[in-house]
Amino acid sequence: MSGSDHKQWGEDLAAYALGALEPREAAELERHLEGCDRCRNELRWFEPAVRLLPESVERQEPPPRLRAALMTAVRAEAQPESRHERSGLFPARLREGFAGRGMRIATGLAVVAFAIAAVAGYEIGKGGSGGGGGGSTLVSSEHGITARMVQEGDGGTLHLADVHQLPPGKVLEAWVRREGTVEAVPALMVPDRKGQAETTIADMNGVDTVMVTEEPQGGSEEPTSPAIVTMSVSQ
Amino acid sequence: MAVRREKAERLADEELMPLVGRKDPEAFEVLYDRHGGAAFSLAYRIVGDRTAAEEVTQEAFISVWRSGARFDATRGSVRSWLLSVARNRAIDFLRSRAGKAPKLDFDDESALEQRPAAERTEEEALRRETATEVRGAIGNLPGEQAKVIELAYFGGFSHSEIAQILSLPMGTVKGRMRLGLEKIRGELAEGLA
Repeated sequence: MSGSDHKQWGEDLAAYALGALEPREAAELERHLEGCDRCRNELRWFEPAVRLLPESVERQEPPPRLRAALMTAVRAEAQPESRHERSGLFPARLREGFAGRGMRIATGLAVVAFAIAAVAGYEIGKGGSGGGGGGSTLVSSEHGITARMVQEGDGGTLHLADVHQLPPGKVLEAWVRREGTVEAVPALMVPDRKGQAETTIADMNGVDTVMVTEEPQGGSEEPTSPAIVTMSVSQ
Repeated sequence: MAVRREKAERLADEELMPLVGRKDPEAFEVLYDRHGGAAFSLAYRIVGDRTAAEEVTQEAFISVWRSGARFDATRGSVRSWLLSVARNRAIDFLRSRAGKAPKLDFDDESALEQRPAAERTEEEALRRETATEVRGAIGNLPGEQAKVIELAYFGGFSHSEIAQILSLPMGTVKGRMRLGLEKIRGELAEGLA
């Protein structure tokens, strides 16, 4: 390897470390690096400087809802692994559904007019408030299901009891109405053998109604069946 | 079996990663609490919009959650890896919105000084010191060197794109990148040894 060759590769090393080589050039350099200690050492010398570049940016505080949304998605994916996978209650397709839905939180939730609920005959606000403003709201639907909404901070958990076993290929999906639009709650529900199910709602701010419908596996973009639970939420 | 939050908090990042690979939410939560702010800040620096930065950060961490086992400790720290994932997502986001120009300044001298409460630990203090040093090193670069590094790292542009943007020969762009990185590396050499 001549000195002029190394000068040429040397020019590329900094661009490579910064991720600024074209893919073809990067591939060529990587092939060269496999057999050249000198260039590898030089690249190794550059890399810490590049790794520290992100530390130079102005610090921004992320919104709390980002953490809440992430943990909702993560816990929804973790639960089937730890609790249900062995018993086969969460088919793989549904677990994928959890993941995909979690991603939609920040990218804009599917929003539909809540007028759909009225057209479909949903009954809203049948329950009373069990915990006062910002506390728990208890609702019993006419289908014999007990729903309990526990609000904690900005978020909340919807607990369902006495839920009938679902037909094959069906899951429960929760929805919230916020400022006149309906949003899907990312984590889908499958009741356990005792008829209990729960889901976490990352952001309850501005939510005035929560409802639950039966949907096909993987969930739906908007409600496709009459609500089996509706509850009004006091803000 | 998931570890308790208190135990996870006592573990080093490198010890948390295998747990994340086994889908432990507590370990993941601790990782996010340690590095989520830096990832969000980097994403914001690149995309220039809080909502977009939120989306990018969420995608990055979900990707980490799903691919935790791919972390290779021989190639750098967990934090570096997480930030590179966030950077890649942010650059992808920028590219998907063709025509969106990156923010192009290194001039936020007082920004770190204004940062509120949460950074009182020794580690945070060290990072803050490092950030100040890096910003100082970048600030000391000649403008033309800082600009090509900025466009490459925070803008996601290739050297040929930068040459086009700045109407310079490609060799000049690569040369400035090299000189700039050498100076930053030189100034930080003691701290990085």
